[in-house]
Amino acid sequence: MKHYQRLLMNVACAVALVFCFACAKKVKQEAIEIPAENELNANEFQDITDPAIKAIFQDLRFDYDRFVLKPEAKKTLTNIAGWLKQNTGRRVLVEGHCDARGTAEYNLALGERRANSAKTFLIEQGVPEKNIATISYGKERPTCEEAGESCYSKNRRDHFLLSK
Amino acid sequence: MSKAYKFCAILVLLCCAAVPQTAQGKVYIDIYNPSSRSLPIVIPPFSSGGDFDREGIASKAAQIIGDDLDFSGVFRAVDPSAAGVALVEGGRPKWDKIAMLGAEAVIVGAMTINADRIVLELRLYDAVQQKEIAAKKYDGLVEDYRLIAHKFANEVFKTLTGARGVFDAKLAYVKSDLPNKEICISDYDGAGARQLTNYRSLSLGPAWSHDGRQLAFTSYKDGNPNLYVLGVEMYRGVAKGPAKLVSKKKGVNITPSWSPDDTRIALTLNLNNGNSEIYIHTLATAALERVTNDWATDVSPDWSPDGKMITWVSDRTGGPQIYTVNLSSGRIKRISFNESSYNTSPAWSPRGDRIAYVGQVGGRFNIFIASTDGQYQKQITSGQGNNEDPAWSPDGRYLAFSSSRTGQKEIYIMRADGIGAKRITFGKGAKTEPAWSPSLSNQ
Repeated sequence: MKHYQRLLMNVACAVALVFCFACAKKVKQEAIEIPAENELNANEFQDITDPAIKAIFQDLRFDYDRFVLKPEAKKTLTNIAGWLKQNTGRRVLVEGHCDARGTAEYNLALGERRANSAKTFLIEQGVPEKNIATISYGKERPTCEEAGESCYSKNRRDHFLLSK
Repeated sequence: MSKAYKFCAILVLLCCAAVPQTAQGKVYIDIYNPSSRSLPIVIPPFSSGGDFDREGIASKAAQIIGDDLDFSGVFRAVDPSAAGVALVEGGRPKWDKIAMLGAEAVIVGAMTINADRIVLELRLYDAVQQKEIAAKKYDGLVEDYRLIAHKFANEVFKTLTGARGVFDAKLAYVKSDLPNKEICISDYDGAGARQLTNYRSLSLGPAWSHDGRQLAFTSYKDGNPNLYVLGVEMYRGVAKGPAKLVSKKKGVNITPSWSPDDTRIALTLNLNNGNSEIYIHTLATAALERVTNDWATDVSPDWSPDGKMITWVSDRTGGPQIYTVNLSSGRIKRISFNESSYNTSPAWSPRGDRIAYVGQVGGRFNIFIASTDGQYQKQITSGQGNNEDPAWSPDGRYLAFSSSRTGQKEIYIMRADGIGAKRITFGKGAKTEPAWSPSLSNQ
């Protein structure tokens, strides 16, 4: 009985090996331009406390499962770009956030797109790219936790921090 | 090695299914026959000798074996006290009393405790033919009694079904400790839970290597969501040394999935300030291969068990849907088809024939199963909160998932047909993203 099993195992392994070699062809290697490794230092940035500056750096709101900038968001970003161009010594961190619904993983990717939407717009407005950092928190750092649209809409946001 | 073994094991099982029973020894239950019934099994209280069994380990061990077998759906644990009399006398089963309970199999156990050591002798009997069909003697530390019980449950499962049991596997999952999240590890049944990370930061998305020695995960502990690999002593549930930084590209370094040979990790990166894409990171060289290339969000890769394909989420048609790609031909196929425009979290079954995923229908998230060609689709959870994060057991018979059915998200396990859901986590903090470890015994 045992011999039979061992024989079967050996045959199976042989078959498996042949299989493995037959399919050793891999994805075509593609040259990838790899940007500099991440230099984001979270300690560099802090919450904005100055009321006048805070009034400029308002959260941007997004629709469910969307990262397109709404007209109000573009207006806010235009003001932010103006401030950043005046204060070239300061860097901005754009945090992308999502509401509590849906998959944590997918929301991390979505949050990143929300942050990048703002970054792209700021660059178009003339803010130097080196002065803009982004980070996605997906749905991991909500501002409120109730179920319902009034809380969901507050969490679907880009939030801004400034360098010291 | 683990991959080759697993592959062989699957092949052997396939062979066994075709081999007449006479060549293999008696298979009591054909678990590949969906209509096959549950086999009634009874586990009378284990005898206990040596030092006083202060913690009631003898009865706990019997309970663990019964729970394992009962959860499998292949067995039905019969209450031994229903007989009203002892079912074992002088270490021998009393067949007439056992027959009256309708049990067709019996486990008789004898335990001896000596200081911090335990000897557990366990015998499995065919109650119809009244003969012993398996026996094992375990000698170990008292604190390992759960592992011993799970290992014998594996033995019983294998003896009676011909298939490997996986009751000694572990679960890793994420526990919320606002505003942070830490990775935890427990037995598959939730027992022995302990925190594996203590970074006081966000740590997410644990993924086991196939050899059970490493966990990949994303953590914000150094600021950016970077990818780390932590050595783990699986059965003790403890970390070995500090986490190793694997990928710290600008932007996300998330959703790791190990290649079947554990030499590469598929993950999600965002290298060009735009949308995230799937890449394969070779651990030895840190070389990257790009898998997806489009304008959409691509995330959550998971390898097929043969390593030839990857399933992942892409919103290239609008909402997120599940796709597969053949890594050598580049051929892409959508496999999620339901009324939902939001399907995420694909998990490729270790048997290779199914992909579990999450779909949002009617404002609720539930778990679906699809065949790898997308032809077969079935919703397997419904009507009880949001059910997300499906993760297969190493034998593909069960799924772990998170559910909000009692309010706070907790981890549940169930059979892959959606039956027998059992909550396994309790206490403070939401628990999400379970990952089922390999089972390293009986290989």
